[in-house]
Amino acid sequence: MRAAVYALECRGIWSILISLDFTVDRWWWSGAGPERQGRGLVTVDKLVLLSPALPLGWAVKLRDYFKQRDGMRNWGAKEWGQYVSSVLEPELKEEREAGGKGEEELLSERVSLWRLSGQREIFIEQSRENSDCRSYSRGNDLDYALLESEVEQLVHAVAGRSLLQPEIEALLAEGLPELTGRWRQAAQLAHLQGRLELTAAVGSPAPAAHGAWARQLPAGAGALARAAARLPHVLWRGAVARRAVSRCLRCGSAPTGRTACAACGLMGCAYCEACLALGRSRACALLLRSAALPAVRCTAALDPTAAAGRWGLSPAQAGAAGAALVFLAERSERPANSCPERFLLWAVTGAGKTEMIFPLLEAVLAAGGRALVATPRRDVVLELAPRLAKAFPAETLAVLYGGSAERWVSGRLTLATTHQLLRFHRAFDLVIIDELDAYPYHNDPMLAYAAEQACKVDGSFIYLSATPPHEMQRLVRSGRLPHARVPVRFHGHPLPVPQHLSMISIQTCLKRGNLPRSIIHTLRKSLEREAQIFCFVSRIAHIEGLLVLLRRSFPGVVIEGTSSKDSFRAEKVTAFRDRAISLLVTTTILERGVTVPRSDVFILDADSDLFDEASLVQMAGRAGRSKDDPAGRVVFASPQWTRSQRGAISQIRTMNIIARRKGYISKEAPR
Amino acid sequence: MSSLFSWLTKSRALLSPSVTPCLTCGKRNPGSSQFPGVCRNCVESIPWIRSPRCLKCGRHVGCPDCTRSSEPSPIICNRSAVAYTRVMREWLGQYKYRGNERYAPLLGLMLDRAYLTLKKEKQSALLSRKPSIIHRSWSADLLVPVPVSDSRLMERGFNQAERLADVLSRCRKIPQLPLLIRTHHTGKQSFKSRAERLADMKHAFAENPAVTTQFADWLNREVPLNRPVRIIIVDDIYTTGSTIRACAEIIQQVGSDYGYAVEVYSLTWARS
Repeated sequence: MRAAVYALECRGIWSILISLDFTVDRWWWSGAGPERQGRGLVTVDKLVLLSPALPLGWAVKLRDYFKQRDGMRNWGAKEWGQYVSSVLEPELKEEREAGGKGEEELLSERVSLWRLSGQREIFIEQSRENSDCRSYSRGNDLDYALLESEVEQLVHAVAGRSLLQPEIEALLAEGLPELTGRWRQAAQLAHLQGRLELTAAVGSPAPAAHGAWARQLPAGAGALARAAARLPHVLWRGAVARRAVSRCLRCGSAPTGRTACAACGLMGCAYCEACLALGRSRACALLLRSAALPAVRCTAALDPTAAAGRWGLSPAQAGAAGAALVFLAERSERPANSCPERFLLWAVTGAGKTEMIFPLLEAVLAAGGRALVATPRRDVVLELAPRLAKAFPAETLAVLYGGSAERWVSGRLTLATTHQLLRFHRAFDLVIIDELDAYPYHNDPMLAYAAEQACKVDGSFIYLSATPPHEMQRLVRSGRLPHARVPVRFHGHPLPVPQHLSMISIQTCLKRGNLPRSIIHTLRKSLEREAQIFCFVSRIAHIEGLLVLLRRSFPGVVIEGTSSKDSFRAEKVTAFRDRAISLLVTTTILERGVTVPRSDVFILDADSDLFDEASLVQMAGRAGRSKDDPAGRVVFASPQWTRSQRGAISQIRTMNIIARRKGYISKEAPR
Repeated sequence: MSSLFSWLTKSRALLSPSVTPCLTCGKRNPGSSQFPGVCRNCVESIPWIRSPRCLKCGRHVGCPDCTRSSEPSPIICNRSAVAYTRVMREWLGQYKYRGNERYAPLLGLMLDRAYLTLKKEKQSALLSRKPSIIHRSWSADLLVPVPVSDSRLMERGFNQAERLADVLSRCRKIPQLPLLIRTHHTGKQSFKSRAERLADMKHAFAENPAVTTQFADWLNREVPLNRPVRIIIVDDIYTTGSTIRACAEIIQQVGSDYGYAVEVYSLTWARS
């Protein structure tokens, strides 16, 4: 889109502003608005309309990169015109190279100067004689009272949001249909009042914001990048000057696409390809964000043991939840610094993470704050939604995921997939990220950026994971990340420690057409104790062949296979849960989420590159989850013994040792 | 040990050829030579319409609409590159609604195939009629994209039909003119029934006054006198043909206003 840009002198200080509807700005600055009374009249000496319609990205650049120069007071239309072309020099050059229009056409040179005094507005001069600047309506046709009430509605509707124009329109169509088509005026007034941020969705962040970037880097970002971000100011500015980094302000990625755009008329209008799935963010697209509110203060008075009793937590769960509550309470006593603080809840598989977050959510909601539970996986959202609704019946719960019907519902308690966080801006006092090491959140800087943006700057982050990424484990070891461990399952039994079984690779088995006797023997033992068996393989292509071999070895046993490419996956998983299937051959897609009461886990080709330490721990975590059968078996079958397998076993052992030391192990499983 | 290992992994990654992920499936399979950016598997699974069942509308399956209607059609024929399958709908959706403009060259090159099919058909028809003219090849004179409404253009930032025509125009050196404008916004076609579409389309288009002189110039300069002017309407998808027919009627009208006989064809990327 295109927007108006104007410069303004206010008590000798100049600034540049953008406008979606210039009539609102004229009314606002002429001091005629009824609500100006009592706020103290701001006298505007001079108003220079730099352009009535400039590509939004350029308009925002003029605003954000503005520096006052001497003698601006005496500048005429010509000087202002020169100023605009000098600031937009690189953009104009790029546009010329892309084969676009020339400077004359693009800047349209319709600079006009006005003097505002009280109610009167005196036209001074304009750069082109025959242009029609004077015909702008004075804004007297605005219905101020109506506009004011619309501003209230709009600001309320978009609180904590970060939205592109089509998203605003969709939100309004659903919640405030009377504002559809007329929201620009309301948005502009709210912007002038400082209640909404208006910016271009793709652009270089204003130069003053250096260093903020360093803090925004996710924990997973390389040490080098963080060191670079801490460089002294001067060096940093030099680096910025050399490489004007343009970013998608919604998702934080570098925009990689650049095409001709009918909406702004440029030949090279940049767009972001990383977050296309949630609507296109581009250099001339309006990004509307609500101004940030301070985070609420969580009371330290909330008693951890009482909370634990209320939610029925085990001693280990209560200990960790208590530590997190203390973190939240201390957080509010510290002076607000400019980025959210983090806390890791490192809970073993089957520890009962969901119950532990209840007291934390309760604390934030009780303090009047907004809380968010986010997870990378949609099925987890769907599974968690009824449990959260039951735990907090008094709250409106917004459940957001791709394709959910409640896209624009807003509640104090929000449950969402991590992608949905792109639509929020400084909205939540507490952000809880479940399974942060799961695909696609892990290793996606875009989602980490989105999560960071969704949290208030003085809010808190709590990460939940059974297998935190290495970077985070390092921070834990060096004491730089506050954390609490839940080393034991809710039933108080130790985690089953995987056994290794030396076995030829599946590839060779399939070639030979039979399975080694050792694995058949071990599988039979599991079937004899009536356990259901998860059999993980590294490749989808192996599933079919393996099914044939297994069915031949175990006639009469129901054996099925499933993978991400299986259209009956959901049905098969349900059948497995209902014990209709005894042995399920699958890939890492089932490493999380599926819980079966009496189960054993076999990981074939456990030395494969595709199984890292985290996924081995997760797969092993499918066994022994029920209190009726706490000692499930886990077998790593592979020709080679690898670092990942060793690491997974040592991680499981360490957790068991910590649990024993802390006295959390109530019952040792019979061996 | 761990740093050595990671160093080895990285150096191996440096030495191995870099394969960019496929535009449509995201996998790092070997790329195709005809369609840059797309992997061979995806290219092989494109549902080309190589020989249409309905010679009028270019449909790959039997077409009751064309056999039923007896009224004269303003177009000679339509040809489409692909059948509008689920996968093709996904591709078009990625391009048109999501705005992934990396699809533009792919879809454009696919449309070029449809043009070649049409050209071959016409050439063999010419040859069978007048075997003496061997070197006279059939080629279109002008491409006209189906316009979108201004509000849609602002929202989307581009007109997909125009971008498709751009690619074809560059490949085949056929000029392109935005001869038509959309006079009113008809809303998304995909939500409407056949009857509703036909009624809506009646007055949806008009001659574009901005290019009238350009068109007149072009007619005077470029058009061969011994045969009718061949104009191809370009669009992304042919569903009922109502859009194409409405456009064709206007082009016929404009042509006859200038005193030229016009043969209107249509070329779309997909046929549903």
